[in-house]
Amino acid sequence: MSGQDVVQAILNGLCMGGTYILVGLGLTLILGVMNILQFAHGEIYMLGAFTVYFLCVLKGLNLYLAVFVSMITTGVVGLIIERVLLRPLKGAFLSYVCATTGLSLILQTLVLLAFTKGTKQLPSLWKGSFELGGVYISRERVIAITMALLLTLALVIFLRRTKYGLAMTASAQNREGALMQGINPYVMSAMVMAIGSGLAAVGGALGGSIFNLDPYMGGLAFMKGITLIVIGGLGSILGAVVGGLILGIAESLLALFFGSQMGIIIPLVLVIAFLIFRPRGLFGHE
Amino acid sequence: MLLEIRNLRVRYKGAEVLKGISCEVEEGSIVTFLGANGAGKTTTLRAISGLVAPEAGEIWFDNKRIDGLPPQKIVQMGIRHVLEGRALFPYMSVLDNLKLGAFLQKDRSRIDQTLKDIFAHFPVLKERQGQQARTLSGGEQQMLTIARALMGHPRLLLLDEPSLGLSPMMVRQIGKIVRDIHERGVTVLLVEQNARLALGVAEKCYVFETGSIVASGTTAELVESDLVRKAYLGL
Repeated sequence: MSGQDVVQAILNGLCMGGTYILVGLGLTLILGVMNILQFAHGEIYMLGAFTVYFLCVLKGLNLYLAVFVSMITTGVVGLIIERVLLRPLKGAFLSYVCATTGLSLILQTLVLLAFTKGTKQLPSLWKGSFELGGVYISRERVIAITMALLLTLALVIFLRRTKYGLAMTASAQNREGALMQGINPYVMSAMVMAIGSGLAAVGGALGGSIFNLDPYMGGLAFMKGITLIVIGGLGSILGAVVGGLILGIAESLLALFFGSQMGIIIPLVLVIAFLIFRPRGLFGHE
Repeated sequence: MLLEIRNLRVRYKGAEVLKGISCEVEEGSIVTFLGANGAGKTTTLRAISGLVAPEAGEIWFDNKRIDGLPPQKIVQMGIRHVLEGRALFPYMSVLDNLKLGAFLQKDRSRIDQTLKDIFAHFPVLKERQGQQARTLSGGEQQMLTIARALMGHPRLLLLDEPSLGLSPMMVRQIGKIVRDIHERGVTVLLVEQNARLALGVAEKCYVFETGSIVASGTTAELVESDLVRKAYLGL
């Protein structure tokens, strides 16, 4: 093992962090605004990846265009879930847990039925790799982290600079306070579900161009999302970004030193440690 | 009448917290609710602003029935509720908090004008407009919640315990602010533990006891009554 291997692992981890961030942002926003842990969020990620597969591999659409279309249609799926499934439950936390868990199984099964068996992969976003002083980094991973950071930036600008973005932030910080300004909570919920789902779909597309697709890929993605929220701190965009990058790098380095199994286990141990010793995470409030 | 409540009943976790109260608020007046903790004053305010669903009874605002409407509709009609405990957006700037107060306002130049007015009335908020709301002192936070409500040009302002946890000097200032708001033509319904403050500014008063109204009248009448003198003024 050389220094180059370590640098290589860090860079790869950084890029994986990009897809984690896109999953985690939606989870943390939905949790903040709606007080719902969206257990089917991983399946939204999976759905995003399969939509790209359908449009690009099966229908021959341009890959980037397919990612864009998937972001929009999956966002609409998020809207529909809010309107049809979540809104009628009227705020009962346990009902949300049951409904979204059920939804995750439904989505898995539907995708399983809709597509034939066999290995599925998305074409590379950008073939080849960059070489920097003996370290190789695949171009699609560079694209992954770049897209993740650009989308995060767009989200931050939306949340800080626009009327509806401020209203969403406000709803997450004080629900009743937001109600008393005349902010319609259903509009906020619909928006946060659409945005969160759209971001997860792009995450799925980026993850799907690195790994194979399968209907169960969402479970692991959901776990990563939870991990980065716990590390970064609930409700914090900066926390989600830093948490995602830390998680990606930690996994990658741990896999290099101790094998890929440890790369999965140790971050989960880290989650438990954070929950016990620093429940608000690195950047969380309170 | 700007606001009229008829026989309002509210149940919370099986217990009857409001046992059929009736009261009214005249346009342009300051009305106060007195009573011990748990007497139902806050619940009444929360029912008016749509945060609590009444079990029975009616609430009328400006000749329209508003009980059962969602909170954002009630805000839109011109009722603003300054919640107990302030309910600021703690990690947002003072300016963003104020801007959100004008969420339903469409006219940008009017919003800017209102903001100027507010800053003229509350210079400390102008000074601290870039700071996060949670970094303000208790008194400043209370000013900010009231100012945020005023950004929406309410016709009726519901104030729940604005003096809670504030220094005596700050309490006097809150009294001055309430009078100020009233002079600008806003009708005020004030819930206060601090009876001296409440009776000092209000024209009419309702006394609550365990979910019922046990006395009402002009503040001048009530200040003379044994009930209020003993229980609330310690005389």
